[in-house]
Amino acid sequence: MQLGFYVLRRIIAMIPTLFGLTLLMFLLERTIPPSILASQYVNPDSTVPIQQQLHNAYIELGLNRPAPVQFFYYLINLLHGNLGYMNSSYYSGSVLGAIETYFPNTAQLVIFSMALTLLISFPLGTYIGARPGSISDHASRIFAITGYAIPTFWLGLMLQLLFGRGVMNLPVSVFPLDGIVSSSALPNPLPSWLINPVTGALYSSPTHMILFDALLHGDFSLAFNAFMHLVLPVITLTYALLAGLLRFIRSGMVDTSRKEFVRTARAKGVPERLVVTRHIRRNALIPAVTVVGLLLADLLGGVVVTETVFEYPGMGLLSVNAAISDEIYGVVGTTLVFGLIMVIVNLIVDVVYAYLDPRIRY
Amino acid sequence: MSSVPIHNKHPFFEQSKFLTKLLVRNRASLAGIVITVVYFAIALLDIFYPHYLGVENDTSMLFFLRGHSISSLPPTPPTMRDGWWYFLGTTVSTIPIFPSMLAALRYDLIYSVLIVVAGAVIGTFFGALSAYFGGATDETLMRITDIFLSIPLIPLAIAVTFFLGSYFIDEVYALIFVSWPAFARLARGETLSIRNQAYIHAATSAGSSRLRNIFVHVIPNVLSPIYVQASLGIGRVVLIFATLDFLGIIRGNPYMPELGKLMVLGESYLPEGIWWPVVIPGVFLVIFVVGINLLGDGLRDVLDPRLRG
Repeated sequence: MQLGFYVLRRIIAMIPTLFGLTLLMFLLERTIPPSILASQYVNPDSTVPIQQQLHNAYIELGLNRPAPVQFFYYLINLLHGNLGYMNSSYYSGSVLGAIETYFPNTAQLVIFSMALTLLISFPLGTYIGARPGSISDHASRIFAITGYAIPTFWLGLMLQLLFGRGVMNLPVSVFPLDGIVSSSALPNPLPSWLINPVTGALYSSPTHMILFDALLHGDFSLAFNAFMHLVLPVITLTYALLAGLLRFIRSGMVDTSRKEFVRTARAKGVPERLVVTRHIRRNALIPAVTVVGLLLADLLGGVVVTETVFEYPGMGLLSVNAAISDEIYGVVGTTLVFGLIMVIVNLIVDVVYAYLDPRIRY
Repeated sequence: MSSVPIHNKHPFFEQSKFLTKLLVRNRASLAGIVITVVYFAIALLDIFYPHYLGVENDTSMLFFLRGHSISSLPPTPPTMRDGWWYFLGTTVSTIPIFPSMLAALRYDLIYSVLIVVAGAVIGTFFGALSAYFGGATDETLMRITDIFLSIPLIPLAIAVTFFLGSYFIDEVYALIFVSWPAFARLARGETLSIRNQAYIHAATSAGSSRLRNIFVHVIPNVLSPIYVQASLGIGRVVLIFATLDFLGIIRGNPYMPELGKLMVLGESYLPEGIWWPVVIPGVFLVIFVVGINLLGDGLRDVLDPRLRG
């Protein structure tokens, strides 16, 4: 079967999952009484009087209609990007605006964690997998056991403790402990690419990820500062991820090295280095692609915790703050986005897998 | 009457004895068993003899002040000088860490087991049902598990807890709600592999109904991987429990003896170099999770004859 056809079929299979996801969130949301749903559906930035807005909320959400009709309204609102409003000390305005503001920061965190994990785990996993029973193998086993067992938030706190001022009695901490960039590192006055033209808040463009934007605009000291802010959160996120992936690649290598084609290759007299790189590794790494997709679920869960520990302004901190300050639409919006990311990543993983291993496309 | 030999060698006990022997032979899983047993012994002691610490410790870490009023003094470091009660130091309001940690096991462990058992029972039932009936039932149930598995666990747990009401018991319900699909997936896969075996057909031809088949012939034979998943799941749930409490989305009693809450209490002192209120409960938690994971790994090796080696 052609790859394009497979991709198309996978995209169609995505629709029921997305539908169910929205239905689940809809059902959860409607456990809240309609009057509260309406009272939170008030845009704090709007000039329309509150009474009028409450009235509009009933109409826009279809709150005085039967439940299936309400779900229809819900879907229409979602498709229009109308996720409701937040009015907390953390963010006030539309939920979509909040997601637009904070999503790039999370993306920056996820990109670096994923890149670091892949860069370490593939070579190291191959190295360990080719030497089962060695000291490095046992070390990786211990690493895996602790990686599963150490809670993310605790690891973050321990890193803060180690690299903060406390233990070593330093004048300043080695790495910055919270936030995305130090306010002292920002150029004064702020250049136009660092300001959101609508709200006037700090919001870099064009990529909205402050590290890349600083590099693009040649502000290397700001980029360095943003990078230093990323170090501890990225280590925190990478630790658990690496533990799982390393172990998986290792066992994949060991399993593949028992296959008959490997024995054939050795019998032919292929040098051991080439047996490992050409025959074992190529086949062992294919299943790892799937695991990378699954690990992303853990990574997104870890993002929520890590961002809270390091007060890193991203989607995770947004969702936790929304839950703490009773922002119904904030909780629903962020959870939907996390779900959407997962669905899309699973699609990409399946496609890459089918591309690498044509037997999958049945 | 002539004496009739009593058959007390039920295959279940025979098999359990054999598996235990295999488990104990492996040093890593033996360590896992020891750690798990000690932790559960403490948790159960707390339930059956709540006064074992000398004070009532039902609902609040404030009981461990033993009548002293709440003070605003900073935490005191671990010391043997003031007796065993204080030997791991104190956290905020001079609440002693050691008894708080022991009391926390009651909530952390017992509710985690409850969550995993409930999730496993629901998941196994639906998974076996799904695979055994096949067709539209299978398709529907698996789409539902797909939806659950398509949202990362922690954000989903946060959302469900939030909508159920953000109290401790809501967290328990929420975690049951999000933990069953993984078991359903596993049970379904296993059921598919045994569904067409001869003994199932034999039972059907002997007049066994479909539900009876599921309960009597299918489920007992798909349990091995469920045990493994459950033992690893307890470790995961304990971590998620502590995490959700740490994030602060659980309302109600801030002094409930729970490891996550205990760490939250001491967190604000970390920048001043006061490490023990966070480090000690964290290590205590990590040791338990390492132990139960070792036990789970050992169980997997033992229950799967191919891995026995």
